[in-house]
Amino acid sequence: MFYIHQTVCISPQITFPEANLEQLIICNENKLYAKEPSYEGIPTGILRRMGKAVRLGVAAALPLFKLNDQLDGIIIGTANGGMEDCIKFLNQIMQYEEGVLTPTNFVQSTSNAVASQLGFFSKNKGYNITHVHRGLAFENAIIDAEMLLDDNKEHTYLLGGLDEISTYNFNIDYLCGYIKKESITNADLYTGKTEGSIAGEGVSMFVVNNNSKDAISNFRAIQTIHTTDDKELAAVFKKFLAENLSDRETVDLFLTGENGDFRYENVYETLESILKEDTVVARYKHMCGEYQTASSFALWLSGWILQNQNVPMHMLKTSLKKNEIANIVIYSNYQGFQHSFMLLSKV
Amino acid sequence: MAKVYVTGMGIITALGDTLELNRDGLMQGKCAIGKLDSFPSKYAETLLFGEIKHSNAQLKKMLNVNVKGVSRTSLLALHAFNQAIQDAGISEKELSNSDTSLVIANTVGGMCLTDELYQDANQHNSGSEYIASYDCGSVGVFLQDRFKIRGIVNTINTACSSSANAIMYGARLIKKGYAKRVIVGGTDSLAKFTINGFNSLHILSPGLCAPFDKDRSGLNLGEGAAFLVLEGEDSIVDQKIIAEVKGYANANDAYHPSTLSENGDGPFLAMQQALKQAGLTPGDIDFINTHGTGTENNDEVEGRAMIRLFNKVPAFTSTKSNIGHTLGASGAIEAVYCILNLLHQEIYPSLNFKESITDTRLIPEQSYSKTVINNVMSNSFGFGGNCSSVILSKV
Repeated sequence: MFYIHQTVCISPQITFPEANLEQLIICNENKLYAKEPSYEGIPTGILRRMGKAVRLGVAAALPLFKLNDQLDGIIIGTANGGMEDCIKFLNQIMQYEEGVLTPTNFVQSTSNAVASQLGFFSKNKGYNITHVHRGLAFENAIIDAEMLLDDNKEHTYLLGGLDEISTYNFNIDYLCGYIKKESITNADLYTGKTEGSIAGEGVSMFVVNNNSKDAISNFRAIQTIHTTDDKELAAVFKKFLAENLSDRETVDLFLTGENGDFRYENVYETLESILKEDTVVARYKHMCGEYQTASSFALWLSGWILQNQNVPMHMLKTSLKKNEIANIVIYSNYQGFQHSFMLLSKV
Repeated sequence: MAKVYVTGMGIITALGDTLELNRDGLMQGKCAIGKLDSFPSKYAETLLFGEIKHSNAQLKKMLNVNVKGVSRTSLLALHAFNQAIQDAGISEKELSNSDTSLVIANTVGGMCLTDELYQDANQHNSGSEYIASYDCGSVGVFLQDRFKIRGIVNTINTACSSSANAIMYGARLIKKGYAKRVIVGGTDSLAKFTINGFNSLHILSPGLCAPFDKDRSGLNLGEGAAFLVLEGEDSIVDQKIIAEVKGYANANDAYHPSTLSENGDGPFLAMQQALKQAGLTPGDIDFINTHGTGTENNDEVEGRAMIRLFNKVPAFTSTKSNIGHTLGASGAIEAVYCILNLLHQEIYPSLNFKESITDTRLIPEQSYSKTVINNVMSNSFGFGGNCSSVILSKV
């Protein structure tokens, strides 16, 4: 367990530099693109050579570097890193039949490009790592941060999750059946009865340490599991709740990654039925779209909810029956087999 | 804090598909680097590669893989994984316990399937059988599913230091009590993508790589996989213990995306902090398996960082002169080689060295020798300044 301090989120919603979440930003054609900022502070020449993932990552981290000159390391979760650069380079290989190629796209195509650029920008020689385990890439980044903070009580780390929509991963996700065949808007994400979701992207960064003073939230526990068995998942969830919440505590908000893919609706229903009647159920994928590290958006959003004691109407699946939201459980489900539960509490 | 032991290991490289073949090759100073046979590339004839001479069809048959969509990267991983769990004597039931974890490193994923990826990413067809197998996570997902692993499963990509970080993450999961046993390792297969990538950076040698030689002219790409079974000391009943994971550290050079800083701050910090974490002094290290790629930049900088840290630089070699640079697999493969050093108390010759680098004057071991080895250090440095060192010790 640890504390979350400053955060930055660049997403398809209004989250940067200040958040305004009441009004849902609408997207079309099954793609929720992040609202890219003006990138002040990144020299134009460097910016031009950056792929979107690197650009977003650096833009989100720069304000946090300004506030913290003593970060002990950089921990990033990203399933694809710079997919756009990766396929650009691949296309060059094919189109120029392995001719003379420029290395820029290759260097930026590696998944660790974001974490390493952040190390480079902040001259940070500390721990630097990139977790890429698809739908649990960000979760492993959290586990890593948690273990580091347990060993190094005085340390402060930058923790982040990000992925981009590139033409290429959209094509691949589409062919995999992860994207809806019919075109919908994000406002209608939960109303259809079809397979697939809508693509999303974004970056969320967190400054984390063991200091409760002035913290936004308290990250208390995380559990991951690979399974396609609902019964096993339910058992893991029950155990997670029993182990991490005291008898006096309740889950005030259950924030789920429901994504409009009707194949997994029953999974969410099964888990919701485990919780008490008065737990508020809310959803977030209509805000950020589906991507492997979308749980980083959910973590940012949960911190915002705890701080503001407000759940925007468009997020609610059940009615808001709580006076105070103190404990939030975030549930993430990537393609029905990679799951995570996180418990976040008010400080 | 609980000690972390290695209780099993498995490997496949251009030197061979068993531990024995790899040790034999190392002892004989065999160089398994040569022409590329398995896929067409403009560079198949002009550059040299540490290629494993099993075709994908042969690997699938050997490994009894009948499902579709399994990339070469995953097949190599499965082979080394099978050996490692067999070596450690882990049952299927233990594998699927919630206290068994899997941490895999790789940088290529299914990108070895260049043509298929090109078609699928540009949507020229309706999706090949490999559509869900391109990302780095695909290898871990494949092994998780095949062995129903229920503990924490992770994939790490820090370029060429990836599997050193996988070892580190696995050891920490045990120390923290998140897992009793962790199978850690790395895998990467040769790919048109990496060949052209490294070629565009002008760091592929036209001849055999010559680590730490004055006239070195770059690296040879290789392929392979290696896995280690790590277990906490509390979980040891009657397992054979083959080594201890004594120390490890990860630091960033924070200098340039694809070259190391002149003084090698990243490599220095990784080695220094690994020693500190192990509770050892520089004098305790008997041998270093260097990153030693054979590029102009790496070998000079790594040498300089070793000189900075060690009063007297210990005996060292680069096994990349035997099998090439296996990228995300190299940290795990070289950890297996370090354990062979420890188990047999022997040093294998580094190949293709003639004259030392003017500035560092360091000379790798060039002949086979028997010697006392208690602690070995394995260095892995990657693009993006990602530097890691692991210390393995005799038990």
